[in-house]
Amino acid sequence: MMEFDGEFTSDHPRDELWNYFTDPEILADCAPGCDEITMESPGELSATITVGVGSVKPTFDVDMTVTRADAPETLEMEVGGDASRNSFEAVTEMNLVEDGDGTIATWEAHTNVAGLIASMGQRALGSVAGRIVNNFFEDLEAKADEGVPAESKLEAKPEAEASLEN
Amino acid sequence: MKPAAFQYHQPSSVAEATDLLAEYEHDAELMAGNQSLGIVMANRLATPAHIVDLNGVDDLDYVDVAAERVAIGALTSHRTIETSGALADALPMFPAAAEQIAGPSVRNLGTIGGSVGEADPAGNYPTVLTALDGDLHIASADGERTVAASEYFIAYMFTDLAEDELITGVSVDRGPFPVDRTGMAFLEQKPAAQTWPTISAAAAVRVDDPDASAPVVEEARLALANAADVPLRVEDAEAAVEGESLGEEPLTAAAEAASEAAEPGEEMHADAAYKEELAGEYTRRSLETAYERATDAADTTETTTS
Repeated sequence: MMEFDGEFTSDHPRDELWNYFTDPEILADCAPGCDEITMESPGELSATITVGVGSVKPTFDVDMTVTRADAPETLEMEVGGDASRNSFEAVTEMNLVEDGDGTIATWEAHTNVAGLIASMGQRALGSVAGRIVNNFFEDLEAKADEGVPAESKLEAKPEAEASLEN
Repeated sequence: MKPAAFQYHQPSSVAEATDLLAEYEHDAELMAGNQSLGIVMANRLATPAHIVDLNGVDDLDYVDVAAERVAIGALTSHRTIETSGALADALPMFPAAAEQIAGPSVRNLGTIGGSVGEADPAGNYPTVLTALDGDLHIASADGERTVAASEYFIAYMFTDLAEDELITGVSVDRGPFPVDRTGMAFLEQKPAAQTWPTISAAAAVRVDDPDASAPVVEEARLALANAADVPLRVEDAEAAVEGESLGEEPLTAAAEAASEAAEPGEEMHADAAYKEELAGEYTRRSLETAYERATDAADTTETTTS
């Protein structure tokens, strides 16, 4: 099990940010290495994401299930990805806290990584994961700065609970 | 193992290469000297569908030492850099770093562009460019841009380079490094010959007057390899020796600052505490060596190379 976490400060109010975090089209534009996101239902997304370290960059078929969506505060997802000789599963939770006119977003992810990419180790993966998540937040903030319209379309899948199977 | 099947492309110009990258993006990998990618592919850690081999792009193999600035093309081999008399005179940190990379066969084929593109935090040129405030020159089908080394190395093997871009070369402004009163050093601690370093230190020191009895350090540069997830510039170590005639006290302060700044990953043969200690020790040695070379610089400009 690897654990990653981080924090991002936004100039936008959390009610507004929430729409960006729960609009699949915005997520597809901002997620690094993401070719496409398909909304299977309000609580389920699937995506193709290429991510890696250096020249080791498998393309994952990713399934995301929204397990908690308490607008505009907490978003929790269970995520699983499969690629050739690599796989991961993760539970991610993001919390939005008001900070004056802006918002502080804190996130953490608990992951199990298997296959070749696991051999890169926590340090390499953590270094890169932190940077990728920061890029994602920066791109999303830029969308909000530009006033790109966003619409909240995600909600928790009924009776879904997050868990990491070990 | 053998690599997975891939399609091989050999462009003969930067424009051809960037067109290929624009077409294939993350399905393509650039190959220069093939001293790292081949191993990763043979183990099937990387399975790119397309290889864009830059060896036919002859324009990118050059060392250009001008009065104001040194420029080195991405396809220039470690061997060429190691043996360049012009570089030894202008910025001796480059040949000093090149001659310590792996063994002769790797140095004959490996290139500076490949090293900087791979961005291993233990790599030599990333650390040299960080110490010397170098720039990277980058091309894509959309045009060219320049990025400072300090902005380029972002995380472990993770850089500012986009999927459709290639590095055409690097350059360093010579302004801060007048040869008659500057000394440089690149020192490595290795567990065995021809392998990656446990810690390396790149130091440059400019003194006010090399002929004075106790020359004062006007400016110092210090960067460490393999001490963090990116090449680590240690400004506190630089500050500790600047404005001082280099003696025991400022060197100790610089070493402590470097140990403090280091955030090394543990390795099988070296735990974090040991690497922090090495970071300090190699900071001390490299700054001292660079200072000695700076104070000798006035008399031996013609012969001091490393």
